[in-house]
Amino acid sequence: MAIECLVLGAGQEVGKSCVVVTINGKRIMFDCGMHMRYKDLRQYPDFSLISDSGEFTSSLSCVIITHFHLDHIGALPYFTQVCGYEGPIYMTYPTKALAPLALEDYRNTFERGGEKAQFTSEHIAECMKKVTAVDLKQTIHVDKDIQIRAYYAGHVLGAAMFYAKVGDASLVYTGDYNMVPDRHLGAAQIDQLQLDLVISESTYATTYRDSKYVQEREFLKAVHKCVTSGGKVLIPSNALGRTQELCLLLDDYWERTNLKVPIYFSSGSTIQANLYHKILINWASQNVKDTHARHNALDFKNVRSFDRSLINAPGPCVLFASPGNLNGGFSLEILKHWAPYKENLVMLPGSCSNGIIGSKLMSAKIPTQIKLDENVKTDVRCQIHKLAFSAHTDGKGIMDLVTFLLPKHVLLVHGEKPKMAALKEKIQSELGIECCYPANNETVTIPSTHHIEAGVSDAFLQSCMAPNFMFWKTNVGSDERTPPILQVHDDRVGQGMLTLQNPRVFTQNELRDVLGVENHQVKFAHCCSAAYDSEVSNAASDWSPSTSQKNSLLQLLFGLVSGDFPDCIMHDCQKGIQVGSFVASLCSREECPSSNADALHFRCTWSVTEEELAWKVISLVKNVKLSREST
Amino acid sequence: MEQRLLAAAAAGRNHNQFPKSLNAFVSLISNPCTSDSTLTTTAETLISHLQSPNSNHQQILSLLSALSDHHPRLRREVVAAVKYFILLPSITIPALSHALSLLDPADSAALDLFSDESLFLTLCFYECGKIRKWLLRNVSIFRVRPSVLLTILLGFTMDPFPYIREAALDGLVMILNDGVVVEDRSLVGGCYFRAAELLFDADISVRRAAVSAVSEWGQLNVASNPDEYKRDLSDALFLQLCVMVRDMDVEIRVSAFDALGKIPTVSENILLQTLSKKPLLSTKEKIYPGQYTEKLSNIPATAAAFAFLHGLGDDFFQVRRSACRALQTLMVPSAEFACGTVDILVCMLSDASVVVRLQALETLHCMASHGHLKVAEYHLDMFFSILIDNDALIRSAMRKTLQFMKLQKLAMFRSCIENLIKNLELYPQDEADTFYALYRIGCSHRKFVIKIIQEVSQELEPSLDGKLGFNKVKSAGLFVLAISAPVSLERKTSSVPPQIFSYAVTLLGRICHGLVDVVDENTLLSYLSQCSRFTFTSTSENIEGGLLDFGLKYNRIHLHEKSNEVSSPSKTHGPSEFTSPLESHVKSVSCVKTIFQKIVDLWPLIQLGCMNEVARTLRSLKEETKLFTRDSHRPEGVIVFAMNYIHAIKLLGNAWAYSLSMTNLQLKGMGALEYLLGKMERGLTEMLYRYVGMTRNEELHILELMLVTYAIRLACGDTCHFEEYMRKLDFVLCSIEYLYKEGSFEISRFVTDLQNVSREIGNSEDKAVDMPYLLLNSLNLFSLQHIMLSGELKHLDAEVDVCGNDFRKPLPFVPGLPVGIPFEITLHNISSEIKLWLAISVGERSTQFVFLDLNEFGGSDEIRKFKFVAPFFRTHRVKHLVLKVSIGMESSSENRNLKRYNGPKHELIYLSRDTEVHLSMVVR
Repeated sequence: MAIECLVLGAGQEVGKSCVVVTINGKRIMFDCGMHMRYKDLRQYPDFSLISDSGEFTSSLSCVIITHFHLDHIGALPYFTQVCGYEGPIYMTYPTKALAPLALEDYRNTFERGGEKAQFTSEHIAECMKKVTAVDLKQTIHVDKDIQIRAYYAGHVLGAAMFYAKVGDASLVYTGDYNMVPDRHLGAAQIDQLQLDLVISESTYATTYRDSKYVQEREFLKAVHKCVTSGGKVLIPSNALGRTQELCLLLDDYWERTNLKVPIYFSSGSTIQANLYHKILINWASQNVKDTHARHNALDFKNVRSFDRSLINAPGPCVLFASPGNLNGGFSLEILKHWAPYKENLVMLPGSCSNGIIGSKLMSAKIPTQIKLDENVKTDVRCQIHKLAFSAHTDGKGIMDLVTFLLPKHVLLVHGEKPKMAALKEKIQSELGIECCYPANNETVTIPSTHHIEAGVSDAFLQSCMAPNFMFWKTNVGSDERTPPILQVHDDRVGQGMLTLQNPRVFTQNELRDVLGVENHQVKFAHCCSAAYDSEVSNAASDWSPSTSQKNSLLQLLFGLVSGDFPDCIMHDCQKGIQVGSFVASLCSREECPSSNADALHFRCTWSVTEEELAWKVISLVKNVKLSREST
Repeated sequence: MEQRLLAAAAAGRNHNQFPKSLNAFVSLISNPCTSDSTLTTTAETLISHLQSPNSNHQQILSLLSALSDHHPRLRREVVAAVKYFILLPSITIPALSHALSLLDPADSAALDLFSDESLFLTLCFYECGKIRKWLLRNVSIFRVRPSVLLTILLGFTMDPFPYIREAALDGLVMILNDGVVVEDRSLVGGCYFRAAELLFDADISVRRAAVSAVSEWGQLNVASNPDEYKRDLSDALFLQLCVMVRDMDVEIRVSAFDALGKIPTVSENILLQTLSKKPLLSTKEKIYPGQYTEKLSNIPATAAAFAFLHGLGDDFFQVRRSACRALQTLMVPSAEFACGTVDILVCMLSDASVVVRLQALETLHCMASHGHLKVAEYHLDMFFSILIDNDALIRSAMRKTLQFMKLQKLAMFRSCIENLIKNLELYPQDEADTFYALYRIGCSHRKFVIKIIQEVSQELEPSLDGKLGFNKVKSAGLFVLAISAPVSLERKTSSVPPQIFSYAVTLLGRICHGLVDVVDENTLLSYLSQCSRFTFTSTSENIEGGLLDFGLKYNRIHLHEKSNEVSSPSKTHGPSEFTSPLESHVKSVSCVKTIFQKIVDLWPLIQLGCMNEVARTLRSLKEETKLFTRDSHRPEGVIVFAMNYIHAIKLLGNAWAYSLSMTNLQLKGMGALEYLLGKMERGLTEMLYRYVGMTRNEELHILELMLVTYAIRLACGDTCHFEEYMRKLDFVLCSIEYLYKEGSFEISRFVTDLQNVSREIGNSEDKAVDMPYLLLNSLNLFSLQHIMLSGELKHLDAEVDVCGNDFRKPLPFVPGLPVGIPFEITLHNISSEIKLWLAISVGERSTQFVFLDLNEFGGSDEIRKFKFVAPFFRTHRVKHLVLKVSIGMESSSENRNLKRYNGPKHELIYLSRDTEVHLSMVVR
């Protein structure tokens, strides 16, 4: 049995996450994202690899979306409405609520640029109707074989990791996740599961991020310094997630330090997003949950909405404007106004894709001039600060998750190739877990667990129930310095036997009955002789001793042997001797090739266990010379 | 009627009808008039029901229980039936627990069942998992040898059922907590590594139990190995627990951090690794034995990476608090590690949760008191914003931390003072505490204080209309600060304008309230009035020391300022206590040293007979010492010693004064003096025998004091006990001589003189006449020396208690028969070689001794806690008996042999207070 993973997107790159997994004949698509760099069909995963005929509904069992970011959900309306997938789609409640906002937002920006998006508002609405919303840790039976379950992933409101189990094979697809809590969201949380495969994101596979306290302090220090010296702070950020995080931080800081400088949201969508955050308090961080009965932390006391007239108003302020990457929109407009003044500050997000204004600013030496578009240039004299916050887990977090889950295999997606290679190395060397990171449109096959149902015998069941432990001393680890320690073993399950045809487990004692065979015993045999003095009995050369003489010689031998082996007994009407399982009986075969006139011949048999004893007795017998005198 | 009921009950033989006959049974059993034969039949019926597999065992057991309660003579049969029933293989858990409850482990009939282990072992190996779980959870009712129990528990950690693995792990922890000593190193290792394997169990509850098992057994594993391995094993345990701090379960994370905080020694490089995600050079290649994942059995040192920062940044406040708390112990040995955590701890001060903020402050305070807290300027904002936090506990904790801070720059100090005053203005209720903080921080930054006071001295001047603005909170704060500024008592100069001291007098009450731990009102008043007459010196003149220290000139002392090593942990603010044991030990030792020095200084006053002054000083010294006992419920040996010593000196002083004035003696007679001397003798004897770790010098010092006691007694003409005390005197002199031969120290003139006197008196014919004169001469040679404490003193102490016994709840007894009294005994620092006796006395004269063989009880020398049933034989025919019980130690060095039958051969030194035991006669 095997799990087959077809990576349709986010293979060795960041963008358009989409992995189709085939387990035990069932196909599940995890995420259906778009790539933001392209504007044509290249932005979508190559769905034709799933089915040549375009018959997606029958070839996929279900589609699972982890969160509402466009690189995870962007292609969904296209896939359902244009490509015609009609099957079930699963996502968490918040994702279902927020996804239309994100998709609509994208479509608007796209169309504002004068181009036509691949899907319409109606498509979005129709697509969302097909979605089944799930709750955290709720087990969904997609059909009689497939079970899926969502686990909290942090990262962004409503983000989830998905566990899928088909038959005996199971896997976890993480989507994007965060292993440390931030102010508005908690850390990823999952159970210890028996997994064949973990498909993990690896955006920051080799980054080690500092403690959030340090990041927060630096951010606050920069903002504080700017506003107290009368400057304006521009924080370009997308409406959902980052804005709430930073607002929480600033609002709290404002409260503590009694700052009176205004904080603004630029757009209506931010306010709407805030509303969702406030409603979906269950998905928030523990702190927000703990305090919300008293005061909802997302009811910001110092934050109000922005009015265009305030752009050039005197005095310090802090403004959150979208989009986060300064690639057009309101944030770019504000940048034009504020960048020329050196007391102002622009907070740039941690990572910006190449070529856009954000990355230009990041690498620029202040003061400078940057090109906003073909014709417009602007002076930049303001301060630039790079935010260290990220909602993705870092390399340590990925390792922590893998260490906790301990799957048999790890598959890395959603990252850059060299970093993924480094992480793969680390996972394999430190944890001894197989790891791979296929490129787009590659298929990887991973062996999976397969259980066989087997009957059990009553005796086996009973032996399983009763404790049966043993102790023995062994060395632990490679350390030779420490003395061997006591280890406990309880082998009650291991002691069973399994018949493969008509699988059934039973105990060793039942073996003969089950197989219907005889018990075989291995025995050794050997021919040996004890020499005697022929003269003592008769002068004739062809003499062979009579039965009575033989008996007396045997008596003689018995006397000798029993001297050395006290438990020796006379055996079988004085025809031989026996020590334990060793039996030496007189050989009566005349034609025996080894027959010798001066010797008594014995046929010796013994069981395997008493080999040593047997040879001792034989050597004793061989070395004696029986004579009358010895009696 | 009875017959009818019996018939109805008997009808219940048929199991289907049993419920109907239930009432009949109840009536028969509860009716006191039921005849014996009927009861026997009833019991038989019930027992036969019990043995049938189909009956409702619970009900029958209840009935049998009632039967044996109402009719004790049937108890034997019931118990026998129940014993039989327990061993039936078909028994169910509720019935089993019910049946076992019917058997009283103390009952002789059931005793064999619980004590011969066979029942326990039989039940353990039943096929039913539930029974096993019940057994493991109720191990305590069985008397199973610890070795057997340990083996069973270790075996059950392999059970396929998670709840049994969990119960087995809990049992392993319980065994250790019960004080069972496991000496087999491989067994300890076996338990530890098995628990470590279970850290990776799929079941959360097993993992939870495994964390505490790993912690407990890991520590035992470290302790039971030879010293050269200890460090590595301790590191390995630390790493093993670090693996668990990233578990997904909150409780596991919390207990992992709790357990980390219990590891006393961890290598610095591993600690530093917990602050960094990247592998450090020093830990990169290191590998320790342990369980890294389910399959990998070696832990790399890098497993500790970032452990603490993860904990401090956890989503759950419980984890953050626990991580913070763990830092408190772990940072003690490593300044570098402490430094690394300061940044994060300061950030934690703005945590949303109050408990976390408080814990962070505690940790910072702990850090500061160990001198590990290096404050940077950017930390200050955070610190000072905490001073105006609206939680009083947090503010108080912050002020405590501030007291230990070293501020590098004047600006930092200034802003600290400003914020303290802001705190004062916003929260007037904090006044006393804030004054104290101002004073303490002023003391440690005197140069800055001078500067600040000079800057603001104008503000403190009265306004033109002559009104002083002293009601202003700020001024009050600044006055306190001024008090902490240095002055020179010799040159009568002060570094702040002297008039400020006189202004401060107007706020004496308020200031004094704040500084109550440092100084009393009179002292402060005289200090202020002294200082206000001083001349002002410019800042260029550096005045060191001499602060609030009047020494003996004013018969008042203050300790804290005298000795630089001693810092004051004295005041207890709120529920949080910060001092660590090590720190407090160092403090108490240095404090005691200072106290002893002060006492030496008192000697001239004692000689002059100024006992009022001396007594006052001694009282204050005692108070000082008492401060150290507040922190823990058991004071350290050295503190108890100091208290005893102070008491002895007080008695000595009084006795000395008495003996000086013969008029006194004539007026009041010997009685009072005898009383004093008797008390002193007892005290000194106790000091001699009740401490372990005394050096010869200390011993000699006390012996010398004893000589003084005897000498005074003899010199004042105590003729009645002349022989006895001469013998005692000789004995002590011999002891001193013996000590002298052993070690190299000088014998004081007093002792040599006394030796001569003793010899002379021995030769003299008219002893009683010569003696007082000779002795008085040698007493004049005596002068109190400084007692040097060199080592750690352990106080032998015992507590004896009878649980739940008081005059309302007496123990029953039958006159003429012995009664067993269940004592709960706690022994501190008593090694098993010491012969201990339990002295049980009725009235004044009759005392019965019971020997306590310490080898029979578990526990360590340091603390031994056990239950002991002592028989008491002399039960007279009285309604009520009150016994006084105490524990005495046989002093082997005492020279007298007591001819006592069944009792100690030597004098007893009592180690515990008398405990009263109330007995009352059983009334039939």
